[in-house]
Amino acid sequence: MLKRIDRLSDAAGRLSAWLFVVIGAMICYEVVARYVFLSPTIWAEELSRLVQIWAGYLAAAYVLRERHMIRITAITDRLGPRGRRLAEAFSLLWIVVFCGYAVWWGMEIAIDSIVVGRADSTMLALPLWFSEFSIPVGFGLLLLQAVAELVRLATGAVPPVSAGETTV
Amino acid sequence: MSTILILLALLALLLTGLPIAFALGGLGLILLLINDLSPIMLAQGLHSVLDNFILLAVPLFLLMSNVLLKGGVGRDLFAAVQSWVGHWPGGLAVATIVSCAIFAAISGSSVATAATIGTVAIPEMIKRGYRPHFVYGLLAAGGTLGILIPPSIPMIVFGVVAEESIVSLFLAGIGPGLLLALVFVLYSILYAKFSGAFTPLPKASGGERLRATLRAIPTFTLALVIILGIYLGVFTPTEAAAVGFAAALILTVFVLRSLSWSDFVDAVVDSMRTTVTILLILAGAKIFAKAITLFRIPQDISQFIAANIDQAGMFILVVCLVLLVMGFFLEALSMLLIMVPVLQPSLASLGIDPIWFGIIFVIMIECALITPPVGLNLFVIQAVAQARLSEVVRGVWPLILLMIGTLLAIYFVPDIALYIPFKL
Repeated sequence: MLKRIDRLSDAAGRLSAWLFVVIGAMICYEVVARYVFLSPTIWAEELSRLVQIWAGYLAAAYVLRERHMIRITAITDRLGPRGRRLAEAFSLLWIVVFCGYAVWWGMEIAIDSIVVGRADSTMLALPLWFSEFSIPVGFGLLLLQAVAELVRLATGAVPPVSAGETTV
Repeated sequence: MSTILILLALLALLLTGLPIAFALGGLGLILLLINDLSPIMLAQGLHSVLDNFILLAVPLFLLMSNVLLKGGVGRDLFAAVQSWVGHWPGGLAVATIVSCAIFAAISGSSVATAATIGTVAIPEMIKRGYRPHFVYGLLAAGGTLGILIPPSIPMIVFGVVAEESIVSLFLAGIGPGLLLALVFVLYSILYAKFSGAFTPLPKASGGERLRATLRAIPTFTLALVIILGIYLGVFTPTEAAAVGFAAALILTVFVLRSLSWSDFVDAVVDSMRTTVTILLILAGAKIFAKAITLFRIPQDISQFIAANIDQAGMFILVVCLVLLVMGFFLEALSMLLIMVPVLQPSLASLGIDPIWFGIIFVIMIECALITPPVGLNLFVIQAVAQARLSEVVRGVWPLILLMIGTLLAIYFVPDIALYIPFKL
């Protein structure tokens, strides 16, 4: 079961990685369309935003699994195995609760958008729920992965001492 | 009162090792709930923060620089610059800084710049008798040029959060970036002259120069096209990043023939990892910023500042000191995402140019990246060179002082930053 969740997160992460490449292709096409065909598209900007929302949240579970989220480890690294496990459990529980809220209220706004028929206020007028569903899906995956990591923690895995990580 | 409590709560959460994205987002959610507001704002915030075209520049610039990086462009650049200046006193050190500056023009990340140039330059310099601590310090500091010379991921994030023009920020980074690179070059030459601890390279022949330069020229051209394209308004920063990504692929696959399929997959996955890490922190920070606005914290801080600080100079000094302290334990982007929403209301009331402030902020982030104990560029160099951290730190102090000196110059002569975007 745990392995299955890992595989799901990995697959979502891979998908997200290639979605960013797709965004690159769409925006390049837009530039070419504007300067070479002299007719800018009406879809490139809006679709690339839609894809970004999906790609961003789909990979959250993968990033957690790979321990890539940025955190301050100055204190936790100095704790013994017991302290580190406790701190890790606290983090994971916190993430589970946060995801619970995000999934529930994400569903709420997406369903509401379907009922009311809300759409983007652009030329393409895509229904808003197209992008809003990324929130329950992405945070749902993250919730699953966080629970899986909690189970691992409970069955004896000790979180490693981490090296410094940065974004930029 | 609530301001202090909330900031203390945030600090406590961060120190438990909770991922920063969720410390910010979760605390924001709690504040919404305490205020009896519907968590529907949480979902809306998460949605709207990524529904942003400008932000797309982050993944696309990362894709571009990762493709170039995997295509071995760092090595080519260094070889080309070295063939021209290698025989100068301190020539390899000069080549290192110049390579960092050029690589910075295709990369928005200081860690990537330090790692890319460091991998080639460190062994080369040590072999030629440069003292190791000098080499490590130079690379750690030279790498930070990556976020000052455009493109720059912190500038994109600053622009998105502060709702300022990314184009102006990018253009304002050029002058200070070149000045800082020049200061580092002068330092290298003087250090080499006075310490005498180096063996100059033999002067490269014309043929060697030509060969090395030809291989580096496409990359150099790409960097120029991107910045000129943005400057002339041919494309927006996001479009420039997409075009740059495509050009980087064409360059490494067809011209240099140095990118394999598995290199490309690595570049794509690496870019996703960094992008999503950044986007999640951004989303958490957005929720937090929304929540603290409900508690009127930015307004309170702005009032407090207005009551106690009436000079822009004093304000900048205080902000720099706070950032210096925060930089001891917080990672660069998180620092930016926590501070900018809080400080922004004060900028207008003190009459501070937000673009100029953005550049000063970025230089403070550069300092934070190389100040121990948590200076992530130090760790990168430590890992690349397999060195002791204490040795890297020993070499980096003089460069931190030079950086602060440059910061002062930009403070007293704002045109170093603002001339290119606004007066040219």
